[in-house]
Amino acid sequence: MWKSIVAYIPDWKVFALSLIAAIIPYAIYKTFDWIRTADKMKSGESMDSNQTTQAQDPNEWFTGDFAKDLEAVRHEMARHSDVYFREFQIGGIGLKAAIVFVEGLSDKNLIDKHIMKSLMSDYEECPKDRHRTNGNLSKEYILNKVLSIRKVDEARRIKEMTPKVLTGSTALMIEGLQDIFLLETSNGKSRNIEEPISEGLIRGPRAGFNENLCDNTALLRRDGENPSLSLIKFQVGKREKRDLVIAYMEDIAETKLVEEVKRRIRKIDIDSVPESGYVEQFIEDNYLSLFPQVQNTERPDRVIGALMEGRVAILLDGTPFVLIVPVTFSMLLQTPEDYYERWIPGTLFRLLRYFAVFVSFLAPALYISFISFHPGLIPTKLAISIIGTRGIVPFPAIIEALILEISIEILREAGLRLPKPVGPAMGIVGGLIIGEAAVQAGIVSQILVIVIAVTAISSFSIPHYSLGLTFRILRFIGMFCAAVFGLYGVILFFLLLCSHLVKLKSFGLPYASPAVPYRLSDWKDFMIRMPLLMMKRRPKMMHTRNPIRKG
Amino acid sequence: MISTPKDRITTPQSAVILINYVLGTGILTLPRTAAQAVKTPDVWISVIIGGLLAMLAGIIMAKLSERYPEKTFYQYSRDIIGKWCGGFISLLIICYFFMASAFQVRSMTAVTDFFLLEGTPSSAIILCFMWVSLFVTVGGINPIARLFEIIFPITIIIFIVIASLSLRIFEVDHLRPVLGLGIMPVLKGVKATTLAFAGPEIMLLLLAFMKHPNKGVKVVVVGIGVTIVFYLVTIILVIGALSIEGVQAITWPTIDLMRSFEIEGLLFERFESLLLTIWIMQMFASYTITFYGAALGLAQLFNKNIHPFLYGLLPIIFIVSMIPKNVNDLFKFGDFIGNSAIYLFGGLPLLFLIISGLKERKA
Repeated sequence: MWKSIVAYIPDWKVFALSLIAAIIPYAIYKTFDWIRTADKMKSGESMDSNQTTQAQDPNEWFTGDFAKDLEAVRHEMARHSDVYFREFQIGGIGLKAAIVFVEGLSDKNLIDKHIMKSLMSDYEECPKDRHRTNGNLSKEYILNKVLSIRKVDEARRIKEMTPKVLTGSTALMIEGLQDIFLLETSNGKSRNIEEPISEGLIRGPRAGFNENLCDNTALLRRDGENPSLSLIKFQVGKREKRDLVIAYMEDIAETKLVEEVKRRIRKIDIDSVPESGYVEQFIEDNYLSLFPQVQNTERPDRVIGALMEGRVAILLDGTPFVLIVPVTFSMLLQTPEDYYERWIPGTLFRLLRYFAVFVSFLAPALYISFISFHPGLIPTKLAISIIGTRGIVPFPAIIEALILEISIEILREAGLRLPKPVGPAMGIVGGLIIGEAAVQAGIVSQILVIVIAVTAISSFSIPHYSLGLTFRILRFIGMFCAAVFGLYGVILFFLLLCSHLVKLKSFGLPYASPAVPYRLSDWKDFMIRMPLLMMKRRPKMMHTRNPIRKG
Repeated sequence: MISTPKDRITTPQSAVILINYVLGTGILTLPRTAAQAVKTPDVWISVIIGGLLAMLAGIIMAKLSERYPEKTFYQYSRDIIGKWCGGFISLLIICYFFMASAFQVRSMTAVTDFFLLEGTPSSAIILCFMWVSLFVTVGGINPIARLFEIIFPITIIIFIVIASLSLRIFEVDHLRPVLGLGIMPVLKGVKATTLAFAGPEIMLLLLAFMKHPNKGVKVVVVGIGVTIVFYLVTIILVIGALSIEGVQAITWPTIDLMRSFEIEGLLFERFESLLLTIWIMQMFASYTITFYGAALGLAQLFNKNIHPFLYGLLPIIFIVSMIPKNVNDLFKFGDFIGNSAIYLFGGLPLLFLIISGLKERKA
């Protein structure tokens, strides 16, 4: 009895390995935990330092003495060579006045024809009793009778005036008035509304966002008469302040979601925000994940579609890329055209895209696992032809695949940066000549060239560029798994990926929904796209305030 | 939108967990163990009876758990029979769960080693498997449920495809005569087939997480019902193709069924890779839920966070899984686990149900 038990006590190696079994994942967990807490500590510190900087703010009030004020403003603007001063006299009365503006930012026509002209014209007929007190014009008179300008603000301090002038407003100083008028004359150059390059469509509106926030919000407004479209303005960036607008449908979007978005945007704490990618990286749920948790788009129709489903859009000044939250994995594989075309092609294209995703990250891995580990599992004839072409290749399948994959990645990266006329030439040299020569030289096999080419083409069919990047990275991980454990490694890789996907959340919404948890009513618009007649409700997973779309 | 703080799973999710747990080793070994016990082609009747028995046990366990909403067996067993006895029984169940998980990971390794990865050390296969499973388990019951929901449809689709393809070599004659030697052989096989349905015990824990715990019985009926169909199809196809005599001599009859036919003109000629794919996924599911069950038990027994127990159980499961020296040892280990399942979950829950009923009447 005792002997038989002893016989079953495993080797000391097993005990050593068993310790490894616990230590390695624990170490990984601790590392990630440490990264997370370190990050939190840092952000906490910077929060404190902000409050101190905001406290110091010198107030320089305007005195009302024209010469003195003008001198103060000149002094303040001395560092800005593009700020111009124009002094003149108000027509007929002889009051001194000055305008301050930035060349290039403010509208020349407006200043010449509406501001200067109306101020310098004759004021003889001006009623002397009410509006003229001891030789000066009253503020109301200038506002109501003289300035034919849409938007006029008043400033009492130089600090208030400077940022406005520097963003295109014109400051008007008049002798005898303590306040300064800020006339809205900004006229920054903005790109025309063009078709978005990154998201082309055959059928659908050709409009895309541009770099101007006002144009972009106007595009959303112009989409249709819809009083419930709410646009809420924020400023992000501590040093270089930029406008940021969040858009949502007041009576559709879940209040909790909107509050969460606002909370995360307020938490953004950095000196400048050059692009919406910055915003994306500050508000996403899990920055250790490979998957994009925020959708970016250049298409107004896509944004409106998302808003109608109860999502929230984030528009940043200075970039055509608008962010949409929350996002699900299935959303990143859909295009607006799925809805514009009839439902049968829409459905088929969607299924095709899911298949392309599968190919784009698993095809090389499957090739490696079948060639290196299980040649017995592929059909005999195919196996013979593969072995025939692989006969002279001196490398194992993983090296062979890596050579070709990395060359393709380099080719892509190079093609992105090259000037347009050179691009096709490089494609020919890289793709055709090197590919052909590599096969003939016996470095890679022909079958692998086919596999890699199909993989590359499949990854182009993913409509969302960021998601395409994700699968490009995952493909390499999959190849290594396959090289170590064959088909078993590929299965474990798939399970690991799924485990990560089901844990991931975007603004509280499970990333893998509506696939899991099962929501049959949302499957009408998932891998297949049912006829519009049948989609009567908004996605259930969004918990919208008004679930009914039609009927 | 912002998820509720407490982990809750829906009724379909519970059913999927149950199905994924039950389906496992059985797909590959059930035809042989059942055929060895019955020795007539009436195995399929035993499968149905075994399934119904398991369903009955599951219903009893669901009914028991229903009486203690939001509590797992580990918590309410103390209320029923006192702190120490309840703790002891819980400890037994925890042992059962981690032994079962060790058995599952080892049998997965045995098959993988034999069919896919000759020469790779078992320990490497086991370690990676356990780590991937740990990754999902640390997220709690919700990610587990969602992952199972991904595995489940893949299993069904691939299973239907390979099952219909293997119809080519199916012969009805192998299943005849029905009840040729009377009902006795069928009853002899019932124990073996019931063991393949081990799994309803998860209802003792699962009910505490369900959004609608009163639907526990429905979950058991649907869950076991689906597995009965799976097993029935498997066993009928395997015996119909390989005959009752052939099946008894083969270690993994279902894989041999897949290897015994080739279809030309498709991308694959042989389909064992597909079968192995879904089977490894199913083993992953079974392993994950038993692993979670064991760790959850320890955590609730000592009233601590579950994470240290998840990490701490890994070495123990690894050592236990390395104990069987060969496939025969492994099958003996499996029998031992099956028998303890019958003692633990066959009678005990009924006893508990009666005691708790009596207690309620007294109070």
